[in-house]
Amino acid sequence: MISTTDPVRTGHDNQKPGASDATSKPRVHRRGALEYVAWVCCVLVAIGVARTLLTNENYQWDVVAQYLTAETVLRGLVMTVVLTILCMTFGALLGLFVAVLRVSALRPVRILAGAYITFFRGTPVLVQLIFWFNIAALYPNLAIGIPFTDVSQDIDVNRLISASTAAVIGLSLNQAAYQAEIFRGGFASVDKGQIEAADSLGMSRGTKLRRIIVPQSMPTIVPATGNQFIGMFKETSLVSVLGVAELLQSVQLIYARTYQTIPLLIVACVWYLVMTLLLSYPQSLIEKKFSRTRARVSNQPALAPSPTELMGDAK
Amino acid sequence: MNADGTVYARGLRKSFGDRVVLDSIDLEVACGEIVCIIGPSGSGKSTLLRCIDGLEEIDRGVLRVNGEDLGFRETSTSYQALKRKEVAAQRTRIGMVFQSFNLFPNMTAQENVMSGPVLVKRAPKAESRRRADALLTSVGLTGHGDHYPWQLSGGQQQRVAIARSLAMDPKVMLFDEPTSALDPERVGEVLAVMKDLAHRGMTMLIATHEMGFAREVADTVIFMDGGLVVEQGKPADVLGNPQEPRTCKFLQSVL
Repeated sequence: MISTTDPVRTGHDNQKPGASDATSKPRVHRRGALEYVAWVCCVLVAIGVARTLLTNENYQWDVVAQYLTAETVLRGLVMTVVLTILCMTFGALLGLFVAVLRVSALRPVRILAGAYITFFRGTPVLVQLIFWFNIAALYPNLAIGIPFTDVSQDIDVNRLISASTAAVIGLSLNQAAYQAEIFRGGFASVDKGQIEAADSLGMSRGTKLRRIIVPQSMPTIVPATGNQFIGMFKETSLVSVLGVAELLQSVQLIYARTYQTIPLLIVACVWYLVMTLLLSYPQSLIEKKFSRTRARVSNQPALAPSPTELMGDAK
Repeated sequence: MNADGTVYARGLRKSFGDRVVLDSIDLEVACGEIVCIIGPSGSGKSTLLRCIDGLEEIDRGVLRVNGEDLGFRETSTSYQALKRKEVAAQRTRIGMVFQSFNLFPNMTAQENVMSGPVLVKRAPKAESRRRADALLTSVGLTGHGDHYPWQLSGGQQQRVAIARSLAMDPKVMLFDEPTSALDPERVGEVLAVMKDLAHRGMTMLIATHEMGFAREVADTVIFMDGGLVVEQGKPADVLGNPQEPRTCKFLQSVL
């Protein structure tokens, strides 16, 4: 005789009659006390916030409701959206150009592109915006002409650079620097073997960039650019200092008149929040799509670990 | 004199920083010759092939592929670097197959094979497509043209990579451990394609650990160790009756 008991029953079962079969017992994870404490804190904070929002009359929710869809505010919102789209488009195009220069075979070109990135990332964008607004103080006249001929046209810079052009130029140039770094990071993420395979076929630098490097770096570039887009949406509030009638400036114009500062700032916040949430949905789709292609491209296990898995054991 | 399909090296030296990885390499490969390069990892076999493909620049010595100085023009006193375009043109006549396949993941198998002719030689697309299909058939992958690399097994990917190189009509084919990244049961299908290619008279230099393949197919076997060519000769001699103690030791450890 090898065994007198059911082989799947453990010693533990035998001690307590009526215990269930060891093979069918559920596996249970107990929640730690810390999790309950955290839940209680979370609920307390939520109640506190809700209470003050509802009982503090200074919030003036009726004013918020009144101005939320006021024409001035909506016009400001449209201006913000237009600025975002313009600056992202110019910023991305110029950024791609700078990124290509940054990986040029010619050292002076690389240095120039590097200097551009260093300058525009190294100085505050608010200062840059004010600088562009006041550029006429530096170069009052711009002469556009054909060199060594009499054909030329003088342009008054003060008239050329309005608040909105200064805003678009300032934000685009600044965005281009960040975007260039995103592109460069994307290019660097392409496997070295891919470039060697292209070289081995005798591909030119341009073809290599267009057909091999850019398409393969998209999984890195597109989600990061989406984040930049959302960031840019909020960054446009900076141009209110130039007096561009975007969302923040629009509400400022109103509360300068009515002194209802807090409710109008809440109006602006509500719109920023709504737009950001609307943008983050396509952004999450884009991220998901590209994380899948990336997994396929590199033959890695299908999905990246979720944030909670990275934080540690969360059960 | 037509020197297509030949490789000639004399006193070739290559170092990475202070580390000399290839030293005084002499090599003479005739058109249609099959050369298998064997040796322990780090012996310089891969670097030698990468030099011959122009992926690495040599420090010193002579290196002529298809009768042309690779990447440089010889003057009476020096070697002058060629223009990028001229180097690219030389490379189109040399095919390279990598250990990790390096297929373009953003292209199907067919597009991978077409990539050289269409993107480099600007050949008409329709004709290149027909040619690509024929090449895929010749490596036993009929009907896989629409598959992306991630849909193919390692052995299939490597055969597509061979077809991609062949699409450029190279005169010399280099194989850098083409079966080392494969599952054991996939090695045979790639070796079969290479054998077929050898029988069609292609000049081939193959860094490999497949001793059976080297014995059967190679005209010459080169044993490298520590960046030097230790021994070279007919496969029966080098593999069957090695003269150098280092060769004996290596062969004992792999056979």
